[in-house]
Amino acid sequence: MNAIEVKNLKKSFGSFQAVKGVDIIAQQGEILSLLGPNGAGKSTTISMLSGLIAPSDGDAFIMGYSVTDQPKSAKEKLGVVPQDIALYPDLSARENLLFWGKMYDLRGSDLKQRVDEVLEMIGLTERQKDRVGKFSGGMKRRVNIAAALMHKPDVVIMDEPTVGIDPQSRRHILDNVKELNRQGMTVLYTTHYMEEAAELSDHIAIMDQGKIIAFGTHDELIKMVGEQTRIDLTFNAEVEAIIPAWKEIEGVSGIDASDGKVTALVDDSNQALPRLLEVAAQGGVRILSVDIKEPNLESVFLHLTGRALRD
Amino acid sequence: MKILDLVLKDLRQMLYDKNSALFLVAMPIVFTFFMGYAYRSGESSAADPRIPLAWVEEKSPAEMSNMLYTHLADMDSLVITRMELDDAQNALQRGKVDGILVIPAEFDQKVLENQNPQLTLIADTTTATGQSIYQLLRMPISQLMSSFEIGRMSVESLNDPNEFMPTVNLAWEKWASHNLDSIVRVEQAVGQQEESWYGDNPYNQASPGIIVQFAIIGLVTSGQVLMQERKTRTLQRLMTTTMRPWQIIAGHMLAMFAIVFLQTTLMIIFGQFVLNVNYLRVPLGTFLIAISLGLWVASMGLLIGTLAKSDNQVVLYAMLAMFVFSALGGTWFPLEGAGGAFASIGKLLPASWAMIGLQNILIRGLSLSSLWQPVAILLVYALGFFILAVWRFRKVEM
Repeated sequence: MNAIEVKNLKKSFGSFQAVKGVDIIAQQGEILSLLGPNGAGKSTTISMLSGLIAPSDGDAFIMGYSVTDQPKSAKEKLGVVPQDIALYPDLSARENLLFWGKMYDLRGSDLKQRVDEVLEMIGLTERQKDRVGKFSGGMKRRVNIAAALMHKPDVVIMDEPTVGIDPQSRRHILDNVKELNRQGMTVLYTTHYMEEAAELSDHIAIMDQGKIIAFGTHDELIKMVGEQTRIDLTFNAEVEAIIPAWKEIEGVSGIDASDGKVTALVDDSNQALPRLLEVAAQGGVRILSVDIKEPNLESVFLHLTGRALRD
Repeated sequence: MKILDLVLKDLRQMLYDKNSALFLVAMPIVFTFFMGYAYRSGESSAADPRIPLAWVEEKSPAEMSNMLYTHLADMDSLVITRMELDDAQNALQRGKVDGILVIPAEFDQKVLENQNPQLTLIADTTTATGQSIYQLLRMPISQLMSSFEIGRMSVESLNDPNEFMPTVNLAWEKWASHNLDSIVRVEQAVGQQEESWYGDNPYNQASPGIIVQFAIIGLVTSGQVLMQERKTRTLQRLMTTTMRPWQIIAGHMLAMFAIVFLQTTLMIIFGQFVLNVNYLRVPLGTFLIAISLGLWVASMGLLIGTLAKSDNQVVLYAMLAMFVFSALGGTWFPLEGAGGAFASIGKLLPASWAMIGLQNILIRGLSLSSLWQPVAILLVYALGFFILAVWRFRKVEM
C-alpha cells in the first residue's frame, strides 16, 4: 500500500489556481521531499493533505484513506508539523505535549510514557517544565515536531521545519527525521533547501507554479541535467540587462541572475566561461568571483525552469 | 472527552494569567460597591420631601415671633432652621434652603402699636417651590395677625393691657383647633409614596446589574480565545487532528462558560453574604439564571471570535455589544422606568432577560415558576449563537 497517494489534486482561490493537478506517490517507510521555491504551491498541497483546506478537484489518500471522504481515518494516520510554531507559549513543553497527545486520543500512562519518549528524542527532557514561550527558536521547532509525533503516526508531513533556526537545531531536526524514518514512519518533507532534500530523501518531487515538474531519486534528477556544469558568478553590479546576451552564447542552456549573482548551466565550462566573462565586460560589470560546481538539484531546477531555486 | 481536554487547557491558560483573576473577582466587587453607593446616595437626597426654609430674626427672639416660629415648625410641609441673614443668603444660593423668612427687629413692638410689622420672604416665586412657600406662609401669618388684632380689641374694650396676651393666645388656639376641625378636610393629593424600585436594599439593583454587566464583559475574553488560537497557529494544528469544528467551538465555549459562571457565582455569594441581597430566596432559580447567562455570553463571544479578523475587531464588536446590552438590558437602570419603546427594544435582548430573572427573585419576590421564561429565552439565544459560531467557523477556517 502507498503511504501517500495524491491524484490530480487541484486548488483554486478565486481565479488564481495555486495547485494545478498534482500527482505524488510515497511508499511506506520512505522520505519524500517536496522541493520548490516560495509560492510553488507546496504549502497549499500540504494543507489539502492535512485536511485544513478542501481540494477543488482530485483527491489524496493517507494509508489508503481519502482525505475528502474519510478525513477522520486519514487524520488518525497522519501527524502534521506546520511551518509556523503551533504551540501554546504560556504552557510548558510537557503541558503542550500532554495536550496534543490527548487530542490524538492518548490517555493515562500511555500518554505520559509517550511524552517522556518524545522529550528524550528531541533532547528537551531537562527543560520540559519550562514555558515554551521562553524557548529559543530551535527548541520551539523541536517541540513543534514532537507534538505531531505523539500518536506515532504512520505518515508525518513536515512543512519547512528548519526555517529560521540555527545550524545546531537544524542538524538536530534532520537527525530526528532520519530516526523517525528508521522507526518506519513515512515522511513528506517540504523544503526550499536543496541540501536538506538531497540529504534526507528517497524520492524528490520538484514543484513549481502549482505543478510537479520532476519526480525521482536524487541521482535520477541529477541525470536530467546530463553532463552539464553549473557556474556561479558574482559581479559588482546588477546584470539583468546582460542576460539576453548571455543566453545567446553557444553551450549555455540556462541562466538566472539576481542581485549581481548569476547561475549558469553550461555544456562545457572551459568554452563557455571565457565567453560569459567577455560579454560581462562588454556590459560594463566587473567579475568578483567564479565557482564551477558539479550539477545539483539547483541545477536541475534551473535546467527545468530557467530560474534559480532561490526565486 | 477531547472537548473536556480543550476546556481544561483553556482554564489552565486562564489560571496562569494573574490579571484575569484580578479582573474576574476584584473588579466586579468594586463596581458593585460603587453602584450600590450611587443608588443609596440618590435615594437619601430625595428622602425628605419638605421644603427647607431659613428663619432670620434681626433681633433676639421675642414672644410673638416665637409663636409664629413654633407654629411654622409644626407644619408638615416645611423644615425651619434659624440662621443669621448672611448664612441664610449663602444657604439659599447653594440650594440648601428654598427661601428665607426675615422677621424685622421691631416685630413685637409694631404688633402692639397696630402697625404693619412687614415680614419679608426671600424666595424665587417664579418657581413652584417659591410659590409653595409663599402660599404655605400666608395663612398662618394672617391667622397670627388676626389673633393680635383680637388681642388689641380686647384691651380696648376691657381697658386692661394685661388682657392682650391671654386673648391673643386664646384666639391663636382657636385658629389652631379651627384648622383641625375644618369643614373642608384637605387630603394630600400627591398619591401614595412610591417605594424604591429596588426595595429596601439598593444592592438589589446594583448587584445583579454588575453580575450581568461583567458577564457581558466576558464577550471580550471569549472572543479572544479563538483569536489567540489563530495567532499561535494552534487552531490550524487542532484542525489537523480528529477534532471536528463543532467540538472545537464547544470546547472553547464551555471553558468560557466556566469562567463566566465562576465569576457569577462568586458575585452571588458576595451579594448574598456581604450585601444582604437575597439570591438564595430561590436558590435553584438563581443557579439556572447563572447557568443560562454564562452559556449565552460564552456562545456569543465565540461567534464574535469567528467574525473578527483581529484582536482589535474582537474588542470593538464586544464593546459594541456590551454597551447595547448593558444599557438596553436594564443593568444600569430598570427597564420599567425607561419608557415604552426603550423597554420594548430592551426586552428583545438576552441581557434584559437575565436581569428580569434576577429581579423576579430579588425585587418582585416571585417564585421559581417566574424564571422558566427568562432561562428558556437565554438558552435559546445560547443555542442560536453556538450554531452560528460553528457555521461561521466552518466557513472561515475550512
